[in-house]
Amino acid sequence: MTLAPSVLFNIGSFPVTNTLLTTIVVDVIIIALVIVFNKCLSLYPKGIQNFLEMVYEYFYNATKEVSSKVEIIYPWVITFFIFIVISNVLGQFPGFETIRFHAAGTGEEGVPLFRTATSDLNVTLAFAVISIVMCHFYSIRYTGIKSYIGRFLSLSPIFLFVGLLEFIGEFTKIISLSCRLFGNLFAGESVMGTISSMSIKILGINIPLPFFGVPVPFMMLELMVAVIQAIVFAMLTMAFMSIMLEKH
Amino acid sequence: MDIITNILNLFGLEGKLFIAQIINFAILLIILKIFLYKPIAQILEERKAKIKQGLDDAENAKKALVDADNQKTLILKEAKVDADKILENTKVSSENYKQKSTEDAKKQAAEIVDNAKKQAQDEFVKASKQVGAMSVDLSKKIVAKILSEIFTEEDKNTVLSKAVEKIEQGGYEKTAN
Repeated sequence: MTLAPSVLFNIGSFPVTNTLLTTIVVDVIIIALVIVFNKCLSLYPKGIQNFLEMVYEYFYNATKEVSSKVEIIYPWVITFFIFIVISNVLGQFPGFETIRFHAAGTGEEGVPLFRTATSDLNVTLAFAVISIVMCHFYSIRYTGIKSYIGRFLSLSPIFLFVGLLEFIGEFTKIISLSCRLFGNLFAGESVMGTISSMSIKILGINIPLPFFGVPVPFMMLELMVAVIQAIVFAMLTMAFMSIMLEKH
Repeated sequence: MDIITNILNLFGLEGKLFIAQIINFAILLIILKIFLYKPIAQILEERKAKIKQGLDDAENAKKALVDADNQKTLILKEAKVDADKILENTKVSSENYKQKSTEDAKKQAAEIVDNAKKQAQDEFVKASKQVGAMSVDLSKKIVAKILSEIFTEEDKNTVLSKAVEKIEQGGYEKTAN
């Protein structure tokens, strides 16, 4: 398994990678969920409506607890959570990493057709950049340019230094957000790939470890990581936005 | 610079893919905002309003029940007072009626007795008159028969008329006594 996503084919000069394909699959799943939700929308919830209302209410109330600008923050937080959690959980489904695509120059083994979207740094970095850029955008819009600049610049040397640290901190936020999610998911996939490909020799016969159900605990762990990392990303976005939306 | 390029290549960082992911997320956010968050917010608001309405209704019903209970107690109390009053009035009026009826009956009985007495008196007077008239007739006939044998027709008539006159006078006096 490589750090970089595999290019399946090119549309003009645009490379279509396996993580991009998975992103499209995730989009389709989310849109399908939205359609089903809107079709069975009722005052008395059941099934998918219950689940989506639960997610919405959880993040909405959590945002309400930390910020007064709940209406601005919550759509970003929930969208990050929904996309990341579906993408992460989807990676545990059969077919991911196992269905191979034979493109030109991919050799006899080919490349995985699907790969967890969040195990691609392009995706996690894009999300982190969106999260932090929107924090700054809303900070300027709702607290004013003076208050925004006041966060980083001050006439007092101590606060100027603190402001400098804050400024650097904004970049480290992007790196930490993107690398945390990418690292966890990539590591998980690597572990799963390694465990699934291992075998044990009994009486001269190679028996793969999955035959004994060895990957099951790892899958459970990965499912936990999938949900936890989605919550962490969403919650951090919420925290960053709520801090930036407060007047300095 | 080469190091950065190497790192970017190692992680497969590509500007086009990066921008594609940003656009993808933006589209997804807009779709979810319009077709998921808005309906959820609306339905939650509706449900909240309905629950509030239900709770308010329950509270009002509870209040109404307490009011009705109080009113019932009040009405029952008033009704009891009224019933007692009516009963008392009925007792009094029945007593009055009884008294009046008794007095009327006594009065009527006295009237009947008086009328009976008066009627008896009248009957007695009438009977006396009749008896008197009959006695006069009878005496006339007796005297006429006796006198026709002794006196002349002229004396007879004189005596007779005087006798009748006397009898009549005496008879009335007797009757009157």
